[in-house]
Amino acid sequence: MKRLVLARRETPTRGGQPLAFLVGLVFALVVGAILLWITGDPVLDVYERMWDRSLGSQNTWSDTFNRAVPLALAGLAVSIAATMGLWNIGAEGQIMFGAIAATFVGRLLPDAPGLILIVAMLLAAAFGGALWSFGPAVARSEIGVSEIITTLMLTEVASRLIVYLEQGPWKDPDGFGFPGVTPRPDQAELGTLWERTHIGVLIALAVIIGFAWYLRRSVWGYELRIAGSSEKAAAYAGISVRRKVLGVLLVSGAVAGFAGGIELLTTTTGKLTVQISNGYGFAGIIVAALALMRPSGVAAVALAFGALQVGGQAIQTNPGVSPAVATILQGLVLFGAIGAAVFSTYRLRLVDRQVAES
Amino acid sequence: MILGVTFTEAGVIGLLVATVQFGTLLYLAALGETISEKAGVLNLGVEGMMATGAAMGFIVGVETGSPWLGLLGGAVAGAIVSLIHAAAAVGLGADQVVSGLALTFLGLGFADFIGDGYTDDERRARFADVEIPGLDDIPWVGEVVFRHSPVTYLAVIIGVAAWFVLNRTAVGLGLRAVGETASTADAAGHSVVRLRFAAVVTGGALAGASGAYLTTYLVGSWSQNLTAGRGWIAVALVIFGAWRVGRVAIGALLFGLTLALKSRLTLFDIEISGQFVDMLPFLLTIAVLVVISFRARNRPSPAPAAIGIAYRREER
Repeated sequence: MKRLVLARRETPTRGGQPLAFLVGLVFALVVGAILLWITGDPVLDVYERMWDRSLGSQNTWSDTFNRAVPLALAGLAVSIAATMGLWNIGAEGQIMFGAIAATFVGRLLPDAPGLILIVAMLLAAAFGGALWSFGPAVARSEIGVSEIITTLMLTEVASRLIVYLEQGPWKDPDGFGFPGVTPRPDQAELGTLWERTHIGVLIALAVIIGFAWYLRRSVWGYELRIAGSSEKAAAYAGISVRRKVLGVLLVSGAVAGFAGGIELLTTTTGKLTVQISNGYGFAGIIVAALALMRPSGVAAVALAFGALQVGGQAIQTNPGVSPAVATILQGLVLFGAIGAAVFSTYRLRLVDRQVAES
Repeated sequence: MILGVTFTEAGVIGLLVATVQFGTLLYLAALGETISEKAGVLNLGVEGMMATGAAMGFIVGVETGSPWLGLLGGAVAGAIVSLIHAAAAVGLGADQVVSGLALTFLGLGFADFIGDGYTDDERRARFADVEIPGLDDIPWVGEVVFRHSPVTYLAVIIGVAAWFVLNRTAVGLGLRAVGETASTADAAGHSVVRLRFAAVVTGGALAGASGAYLTTYLVGSWSQNLTAGRGWIAVALVIFGAWRVGRVAIGALLFGLTLALKSRLTLFDIEISGQFVDMLPFLLTIAVLVVISFRARNRPSPAPAAIGIAYRREER
C-alpha cells in the first residue's frame, strides 16, 4: 500500500516564489475562464477587454500605476509589521483614518498654497494612520493583546466614523442635503506625470525604496529582524522587544495612513468617503503575502494586482458579464500561489504506508 | 420618558424581537467560527462564506420555492467555500490569516457572481414565524421569545448540540485538544488534519446558513453587499464570548441588540448617531481582549493555544 506525502526539500527551489505567483495568476485565469464559460460569457473577449483596459495602452497603464500605489503602500505597511512577525490586518482602517486626518487639515487650512497644503495633508495622513494603530500597538507591546483582532476591529470603527462625519459634523453645506463631506480644497491635488499617472506613483516608489533600503541596512531594521526571529536572542543583545513592537506597528500604521492621504489627494471627487480605502488594506495583505513580505516584491505584485483590479472594472461595461469575476480572481491568485509555493519547499513522494505512518 | 428616551411598550417589544432575529444571524456564524477556532483554525473568511450562503440560499430558495431547501443550500455552499481555506491552511499549512482573508475576497466575489441575475428578483421564499403553542400567549415573553422563524429555534438546538459535542464527547475532546497542542493530540491518536478539516467545514456550513437566514427570512431578497460586515461582527463575537458556546450566545443577543437599536434610534428619541451604536460591538470586543490579556497574567487565556499555528507532523 503506497500513499503520497509531502517531503521537505533540502534546499527550497531558487526563484520559487515569483514562479508560484505566476502559477497562481495562471490558475486564477483558468478557473475564471471556466466560471465565465459556465455562464456562457465570451471568455476571450472578456480577458481581451481586461488586458486592453489595464495594460493595453499608455493611457491604461496610467490607471494600473495609480491603482498600484495604495496597494503597494498597504502591502508595504503589512510587510513592515511582518518583519517582527506581527500582523497589521487593519491597514484598511488606517487608510481611512489617514484620509480623515488629511481632510481635517484641508478644512483647517482651506486657503494655504497648494504645495504647503499637500505636504501638510500627507504628513497628517501618515500621523493619522499611526494614531489609528497606536491603540493596538500599545495593547500589544504592553499587555500582549493580539494585534490581529484589534487592528481588524478598528477598521470597522473607522468606516462608521467616516459615515458619521458625512452625515453630521463635516457634511457639505453645498451638498443639496445629501450626506457627503465637503471636498478638499481645489489646490490640494497631486499633479500628473504623464497621461493620468499622478505624482503619487513616484512618491510611493520613493517610500518603498526608502524602506527597503532602511530595513535592510539600518540598525533598526537589523534589530527588528532579530527581535522577530527570536525574542530571547533580542533580549540577550539588549534590544527592547516591547519598544520595537510599538515602533514597528506605529510605522506600519503611518505608511497605510499615508496611502489614504495620497488617495484623498488624487480622487476625482476630492471627497472623503468610506470607499476611499476601497479594500486596498485587505488586498495589501494578500499582496504582501504573495511578495513574501519583501518590499521590492510588494511593488511588483501590487502592479499585477493593480492591473487585475483596473481590468476587472472594465468588465462592468461588458453587458451581462458579472464584474465580480475580478474579485474572485484576486482571491484565486493567492490560493493558486499557496498551492504552488508548497512545491518550492516540498515535493511529493510516494512512500509505503507503513513508513508514512511511523 | 427616561433620560430623554421615549419608551413605548410596542417599541420595546419590537426592539427585543429584532434583537433575537439579529442575534440568530450572528449566533449561527459565530458558533461556526467558535468551532473552527476551538480546533485551532482562525478563519477570517466568515464574511465571504456568509455572502456565498446568502446568495445560494436565495437562489435555491426561490427556484425550489422552499426556504428550508434555501437554508440547506446556503449551508452547503458555505461548507464548500470553506473547504478552500481548510485545504490551504490545514492541508498545506498556509498562513491562516492570509488564507482567510483571501477566502473573504473569493466568497464575496463568488456571491456576487452567482447572485448577479437575482438582484432585482421579486420572488420570495421566506420562512413564516412559528408560534410555540401554549407559550406564545405569555404576555411580553411570548411575543419576544416564542414567535420566531424556525431558524431561531434551530439555532438554539444547534447551539445545545454543539455544546454537548464539544464538552461531553470524545470527538469534542479531540477537537479541543487539537486546538490546544496539536502535536500532543496527534501523539494521543487524534487525526489533526481530519478534525481541523471537519471543524472548518462545520464553521463554513454555519456561516453559510447564517447568510441564507438573511435571504430566506431577515431581508428576504438578495443584493450586493447584503452581509454588510456582519461576518466581522461574528469574528469579534467569538472573542467577546471567550470561545464558549453559551457566552457566545449571550454576546450574540447583546450585539444583536446594537444592530436592532440602530434602526430604531428615532423611535426612542435617542439623540446619538447610529454610527456610534454600530461601533459598539467592535469597541466592546477590543475591551474584552484587553481584559483577557490583563487577567492572563494570573490565569490561562481562554483562547485556544494552537490558534493560527499550522501543524506539520514532521516539524513538531
